[in-house]
Amino acid sequence: MRVVVAAPQVPFVRGGAEVMAEDLVNALRARGHEAELVTMPFKWYPGARVLDQAFLWRLADLTESDGRAIDRVIATKFPAYCVRHPNKVAWVLHQFRQAYDYDRTELGQFSEEPFDRATRHAVERLDKVALGEARRVFATSRNVANRLKRFNDIDAEVLPHPPQTLDYRTAEPEGYVFSVGRLDRAKRLDLLIEAAKHGSFRVVIAGVGPDEERLRGLANGNVEFLGRVDDAELTDLYGRCSAVYYAPIDEDFGMVPYEAFLAEKPVLTTTDAGGPLEVVEDRRTGVVVAPDAEDLARGAAYLTGHVDEAKAWGRAGRSIAERVTWDACVDALLS
Amino acid sequence: MKVAYYSPLPPSRSGIADYSALLLPALRERVDVVVAEQGKRAPSADVALYHVGNDPDAHGWIVDALHKRPGVVVLHEYVLHHLISGITIGRGDGRGYLDAMERELGVAGRLLGLGVLDNLLPLLWETQPERFPLAGTILDDARGLIVHSDFVAREARRAGYGGPLWRIPHPAWPMHDVTPADDVSGDPLIGCFGFLNMNKRIPELLQAFASLRETRPGARLLLAGAAGERFDLSRRLERLGLRDGITRLDYVPEERMWSLMAACDVLVNLRFPTMGETSGSVIRGLSLGKAIVVSDVGWFSEIPCEVVLKVLVDDYEVPMLEAALGFAADHAAELGANARAYVEREHDLSHVADAYAAALESAAGGDAVDDAVLWRIAEAAAEVGIDDVAALARAARESGIIE
Repeated sequence: MRVVVAAPQVPFVRGGAEVMAEDLVNALRARGHEAELVTMPFKWYPGARVLDQAFLWRLADLTESDGRAIDRVIATKFPAYCVRHPNKVAWVLHQFRQAYDYDRTELGQFSEEPFDRATRHAVERLDKVALGEARRVFATSRNVANRLKRFNDIDAEVLPHPPQTLDYRTAEPEGYVFSVGRLDRAKRLDLLIEAAKHGSFRVVIAGVGPDEERLRGLANGNVEFLGRVDDAELTDLYGRCSAVYYAPIDEDFGMVPYEAFLAEKPVLTTTDAGGPLEVVEDRRTGVVVAPDAEDLARGAAYLTGHVDEAKAWGRAGRSIAERVTWDACVDALLS
Repeated sequence: MKVAYYSPLPPSRSGIADYSALLLPALRERVDVVVAEQGKRAPSADVALYHVGNDPDAHGWIVDALHKRPGVVVLHEYVLHHLISGITIGRGDGRGYLDAMERELGVAGRLLGLGVLDNLLPLLWETQPERFPLAGTILDDARGLIVHSDFVAREARRAGYGGPLWRIPHPAWPMHDVTPADDVSGDPLIGCFGFLNMNKRIPELLQAFASLRETRPGARLLLAGAAGERFDLSRRLERLGLRDGITRLDYVPEERMWSLMAACDVLVNLRFPTMGETSGSVIRGLSLGKAIVVSDVGWFSEIPCEVVLKVLVDDYEVPMLEAALGFAADHAAELGANARAYVEREHDLSHVADAYAAALESAAGGDAVDDAVLWRIAEAAAEVGIDDVAALARAARESGIIE
């Protein structure tokens, strides 16, 4: 099959979504398909710019290339899933959340002005049209599927994707709680940094992002910022940590818990984290606490202080993560 | 965002006044609402919302306001001939009526209108309004349209309305404890609520009920509501030998109506021809978890079959109605449970208010958003020599980017 993976690109920003799209292309190629990543830059501000960019995707002709038909398009995010193709499959990592669950929160971008309110509804209307055209709609987590149902009345099948392919390994825990990801407010690292002031555990943070300066300002001596790390450093940090922190607000899916599990590490998360709660179960694969610094500190202290239990929970997580394979994903997406 | 809200309100005795009394508090939790008053200066707002029904006394001033300032129209029924004749001929504006008829049917419509004005033809709004709905002049000024049924949505599109359209279900009244009235009874007790006229199929209902009484002598029919001027109910009851089986009540206040409905085993709400209306009475019955029998027309047809019993309006209407009433009485619990589940799912007030807020927000800023998007697309296109803005607009609209 000739398959296009359609995904937007925010220039100079690389995160889980970009890794997932590239891994999907590789997984398709590994199974003998011709696969190509097609992308366009995405800038979601100001105001109605998102609609201009959705229009670019609507105009893109991916029905054939170089005189040969493209058999399928797999689109992962807004506005890429606005592309038109008779065999479009949407595998939704997330919608444009500013128009949905982020709206009227500090993470939203639309004001109460009529222009902004109408733009938000235009995104919603467009999603309904674009996703309604897809022959199948998958969501990477139950949380994302629930949002599609709640906001757009679209039924999506849940299809989680494997984390990035790395040489995951485990080692003796060294007493630190590890966090990796883009440093922005939605990832809620300030909660972990605050928790570190209430306990004696160390925190190691890998990643860069717009919230870095503020976070550094909040941190005490227990917190170490590593900036961007390469793959080898990343697997080493996973392997040697006592637990992995991952508690964004109502996260879509999140690869981090799966990566932690493949390194046999338990995950520390919060009751409002969304997608991660589909795999992180309290005292079975990690610790789930209220989104409160003191509770988080107690959870981290437990995981760093009860090594055997933490190891057992990490191993339980590994068996979950290993069930999510590219074979299963490719079969579903091309069926 | 501020919304100017035009609607009849209680104590006006109309279904739309009841509707607004129900909706307004929930809508106020979501947007800033200023209620417009008849005879007073139009409130300034980002968008105006006009509730339009067929009664010229209740809605004439609202249509006047709509013509002055186009906005979002809630079309509570599709056939508006009575309204249009009332605000044209009724105000000495025969030309306005002719224009409305011409808008509907071209020259033939204008000629028919002349026939009415010259007393050469019977009054169309009394004899066959459903053939000449006259909703066009309202739709022409609608910048957005809210309807309660697919039926009205289809009719509006057929009349050439091309703007944004939202189908928002009629909200259900939040359930409170209703004590069934103890001064009415029957085995079964069948209730028919609302204005009584030919259009509500009362003659057919009475015939079916008379037949039902032959096998169920304990059955009683409660008829609650004012009767139409030319509808002689007493004579009909006498002819069918039904004086004993009927309880007749005129207009009943809201609380009393709930209590009477709660006392019934079966509710019946028939209609033909339909004016595209939604029945508040049916919604109340569904909320109470009652077995309901309706005509299989318009909005009523869109209610799922497991929720209400639908009777076709054809040659077999009367025997089918008799059978449906009996079946509903025997399966009242099951049908009632389905009704309650359905109304909770589809007619929830907070969902309705959310949908209203979304529609109003889209309507208030939608044109500006579309213009902004089109402007940027046209600007970029012009830079590479494409200056057919109309074609660009068509492409954007066809692709779903703008409305």
